[in-house]
Amino acid sequence: MDMHLEHEVARLFSLEAHFLDRKQWKDWLNLYLEDAEFWAPAWAGEEELTNDPWNELSLIYLRGRGGLEDRVSRIEARDSLASVPLDRTAHLVSNALVHATLQDGSIEASSSWITHVYGVRGTATLGGYSDYTLRRTDGQLRIAKKRVVMINDRLEIPVDIYHL
Amino acid sequence: MGSNDSLLNMASLIDDRVGDGVFRVRKEIYTDPALYDREIKRLFEGGWIFLCHESQIRAAGDYFTTHAGRQPVFVLRQDDGSLRAFLNVCPHRGSILLPLRQGKIQGSINCRFHGWAFGPGGECEGITFERAGGYPGGQADKRHFDLTPLARLESYRGFVFGSLAPVSESLADFLGSTRPFIDLFVDQSPQGIEVLRGASTYVCHHNWKMQVENVPDGYHVPTVHRTFGTTMAKRQLRPGYEGLLQTETGRISGNVKNGCYDLGRGHMLLWADRATPEAAPLYPSTAEIEKNFSAEKALWMLRRGRNLMVFPNLVLNDLASTHLRTHRPLGPDRTEVTVMCIAPVGESREARYARLRKFEDFFLLTGMATSDDLVSLNIVHEGALAEARPWIDFQRGIATMKPGADEAARQLGVVPDSHNTSWTHETPYHGLYRHWLRSLSAEA
Repeated sequence: MDMHLEHEVARLFSLEAHFLDRKQWKDWLNLYLEDAEFWAPAWAGEEELTNDPWNELSLIYLRGRGGLEDRVSRIEARDSLASVPLDRTAHLVSNALVHATLQDGSIEASSSWITHVYGVRGTATLGGYSDYTLRRTDGQLRIAKKRVVMINDRLEIPVDIYHL
Repeated sequence: MGSNDSLLNMASLIDDRVGDGVFRVRKEIYTDPALYDREIKRLFEGGWIFLCHESQIRAAGDYFTTHAGRQPVFVLRQDDGSLRAFLNVCPHRGSILLPLRQGKIQGSINCRFHGWAFGPGGECEGITFERAGGYPGGQADKRHFDLTPLARLESYRGFVFGSLAPVSESLADFLGSTRPFIDLFVDQSPQGIEVLRGASTYVCHHNWKMQVENVPDGYHVPTVHRTFGTTMAKRQLRPGYEGLLQTETGRISGNVKNGCYDLGRGHMLLWADRATPEAAPLYPSTAEIEKNFSAEKALWMLRRGRNLMVFPNLVLNDLASTHLRTHRPLGPDRTEVTVMCIAPVGESREARYARLRKFEDFFLLTGMATSDDLVSLNIVHEGALAEARPWIDFQRGIATMKPGADEAARQLGVVPDSHNTSWTHETPYHGLYRHWLRSLSAEA
């Protein structure tokens, strides 16, 4: 077990949470590679997630960091009813695990998360787990792929990228 | 005005004087618990409502659970392919029978509380420890314990409707002029349409009729969805968003021919010509559709977006993507909404991909438009509590509204109760609230 790598991955997950809670959008986006994929599958039933974004519904499926940048620019436009005022969030990310280092050097890792949300539209506790593919560029680990499962599926407040 | 007053003076809630340029509703219609209770009994538990789509229960034994108002019900595919619907409640002690939203029974339905067994046709087949049960005459009267069927159950082209009450009206009469508009969805593939796997359910903090009003409301689009339009316009400048992956920003800015219909008995339609028909997921099927249908119907399918309200609880939307939405009132100020993507069976992989992405961009609480809709309607409900200004006016379009069909409706052979020249007009609500008032005031 590469303790150094495990520590580095855990730090990346913590940084992501840190930037989202403090709404440092540019720093957050910078954790993602240009061609990053961001996928939040939908629930197909009480016990089943969808698993084919080409044929089944997802909550969010974005290919390329531009999709995340769209979300940020909508937030920054201050013109979305669901985003003014922004919710306050506290992300807790834990259980950081490195599962494999692939031939091309990319790393497969996972975490569990809870986000406590407080805002004018209501209070909520969202939670779930994420699978990541990470790649090293310029000496820094970045996110090539994030699949985030939110276990809540009867939402009472809008959920944007900064809640996950 | 207190609750009892509301029920006693129903007619005073709707100020219907179109000849004088006035149509307005009292805010109590959204907030009054006694009115809400009557709506549930009359509209959701006393007449036709949408239950599910047949693609959700394809094979024998497949079931779908839902609610008729407050009452849990399920629809079950029988061995002979027909459908039956029952209260999802054990006739013995009232426990919920089928536990999942969508599932499959293995031969029989077994109550999870005392193990009683029921056949797919609802017949009580087994009573646990019956002989030791001390029933009158040593035997229970099993027919007394058969499942309770819905009084009416019928499909229209795959859409399953039912009624708890034995209404005499046929489903065809109930659907009326919505049928040609439902056909515009179903005919998109020779194999019909299907509900795709995966759904999203959310709870709104507003009255269910605000969900209904949202359907033919094009007026909010350039304001509430302005930021969506701007975001999409910006995105389209990046590579990868050409062809089917374009979003129709022309429609959001309102710069297209559009209109709205009061289709009678609460049903309503909004339509808007597509600024970029080549962006619609159906576009690759253009040749096939133009070959199979009249030029007028093909135009409606390919070049005109639509939002259809089948009152009281089915929404079919064919704008940037295609969705099926249904809502269930939970209280005067709480409404549960479930939204699903519907798609032509057998469409190309690229069309399916574009349809899903555009759906996710817009129609989810995790998306960039429905999230804004939810909040806009929640704050309208908050405003409904401000009774110092007691009326909501539905005045826009009152001078341009005309009875019967416009040119677009004639192309489909539909005769609406009224039509209007802009989707920003509020006249479809006149028919909605006349129907609402009739349904709630009639002798029970």
